[in-house]
Amino acid sequence: MTSSKRSQGINLSRMRKYFAPRPIAIGVTAIMLSACGDKQEATIYTNADDCADANPGQEAQCKAAFEQALADAERTAPKYKSMSDCEYEFGYDRCHAVNNSSGSFFMPFMAGYMLSNLLNPGPYYSQPMFTSYSRYSPYRNQWITTDGRNYGSLSNRHYRVDKDVFKPKPTVNRTMKRGGFGSSVRAKSSWGSSSRGGWGG
Amino acid sequence: MFRIPITPRAGWQQQARDFGFHFHTMYGEPYWDESAYYQFSLKQIENDLEDPSADIHQMCLQVVDEVVKSEELLTKFSIPQAFWQPIADSWFRQDPSLYSRLDFAYDGKSAARLYENNADTPTSLYESGFWQWLWLQGQVNAGLINRRADQFNSLQEKLIQRFAQIAQHYQLNQMHFACCQDTDEDRGTVQYLQDCAAEAGLKTDFVYIEDIGLSEDDYFTDLNDSVINSLFKLYPWEFMQREEFGQHIERASINWLEPMWKSVLSNKALMPMLWKRFPNHPNLLPAWFEDELSKADCSQLVKKPIFSREGANVSVIKNGETVLAADGPYGEEGFIYQAWHALPKFGDNHTLIGSWLVNDQPAGISVREDKSLITQDMSRYLPHVIL
Repeated sequence: MTSSKRSQGINLSRMRKYFAPRPIAIGVTAIMLSACGDKQEATIYTNADDCADANPGQEAQCKAAFEQALADAERTAPKYKSMSDCEYEFGYDRCHAVNNSSGSFFMPFMAGYMLSNLLNPGPYYSQPMFTSYSRYSPYRNQWITTDGRNYGSLSNRHYRVDKDVFKPKPTVNRTMKRGGFGSSVRAKSSWGSSSRGGWGG
Repeated sequence: MFRIPITPRAGWQQQARDFGFHFHTMYGEPYWDESAYYQFSLKQIENDLEDPSADIHQMCLQVVDEVVKSEELLTKFSIPQAFWQPIADSWFRQDPSLYSRLDFAYDGKSAARLYENNADTPTSLYESGFWQWLWLQGQVNAGLINRRADQFNSLQEKLIQRFAQIAQHYQLNQMHFACCQDTDEDRGTVQYLQDCAAEAGLKTDFVYIEDIGLSEDDYFTDLNDSVINSLFKLYPWEFMQREEFGQHIERASINWLEPMWKSVLSNKALMPMLWKRFPNHPNLLPAWFEDELSKADCSQLVKKPIFSREGANVSVIKNGETVLAADGPYGEEGFIYQAWHALPKFGDNHTLIGSWLVNDQPAGISVREDKSLITQDMSRYLPHVIL
């Protein structure tokens, strides 16, 4: 064919769509961190009691760090439009619905939190940790953070990590309100019988 | 131009599943119909559809240039006053456009006649750019269609090139894409555009129109609270401009696809304007605004809402009486009138040609059939070849 009037080649692998459901966003993109931070000891605890058991006399710190990690988890965890998509990635009964100022979605339960510098003077550090129980997930039985770092098997609890890993994960913006677009199509799609619900032409 | 029956490809439904084409059947009725195809000659494609599409697009742009500078015309186009300046700005900045679809009545013999310009949110893009391309490949390999057969369809190639140009223009490496919830067809169309953008090297993020958020400093955000800087929205400007977040559009300073000047290009008030500026053009149908109906010198008219989708609220008026009407929720912003010109019939089917443009380049056609004279959203999509 000398001068074809159709696309010459199409990347079929790009077009193939039979794949696992993907989350709306996988965590929050990590800030690019310098690699030269000091290593420090860090431990993962599954909850505040777990922490307190290992650190007698630090109950209040353990609890405060846990609450901080929970708050960070809600802000930075992967969010899904449906429970089934979330459970596909994290396992049955491992997700919960969240309604907050950013909207309604589904996210995994925090599986634990990583703590560092609890017993030393100066500030301590915490961050939420997640894991998956789904056989479809590459993170099955691994400790992962919301920026996608994998800390290996759930049986590991003690690490030497860069201070940088505790830097706050960014929430780019605070969303005050949602749902300000889409009212016209709601009004119009309730109309008539043959309409497919969309409004594209 | 012929309609030719053919055996559907074995296992095409499985292939549709693999490629994520989920809306080939809707409400139990076939939408993608490969029990037949249309055959055109190269001359028909190039002389009767491709060249006129390029010309008409330029004529439409001339009208846009006139409308954005006229308060009187912007009023006639039912564009909210708050957007007159932003629309003019987007036009004079020459914000890049992505694609549009011109709908024609064409029978293979006489000049194609323009029904309307879907310049803001056209669908059936995936079926056109990818799925009918794959169909031709399959049928040629199966030996059912001549190996020399071609197709007027460089859509995917041109969309990828265009995304690369737009990325260059705005210096982007990422773009957001949005459509409404609960529609496989719109989501499929947007996914296709995401695939084309990704092929052009862009990172793509998706958010439903209903989920778009407004941040405390007046940016739009996705569900991850990330700021939306560039947005392809499969959602019409005329809705956005009238909705709650419409007042925040300007401050959100987004690179929009389609750009805001498309609210003029996609407006049906364009049709009477075209007829005024290019009277008796062979590819145009006579058209009038409501207040000039007395000048309408033909006995049968089509009445169309200024804003509407998929034939909704279109009615046919003969000697002042409505003889055929399609229901719908549109029309509150007024109507335009177009001379009646029937779709050609192939067998029992009324056939409509969609002629695609990527920016200002003709890029292919789609063929849709309907049992009714008004092409509605339940019409079927048929592939085509050039031979």
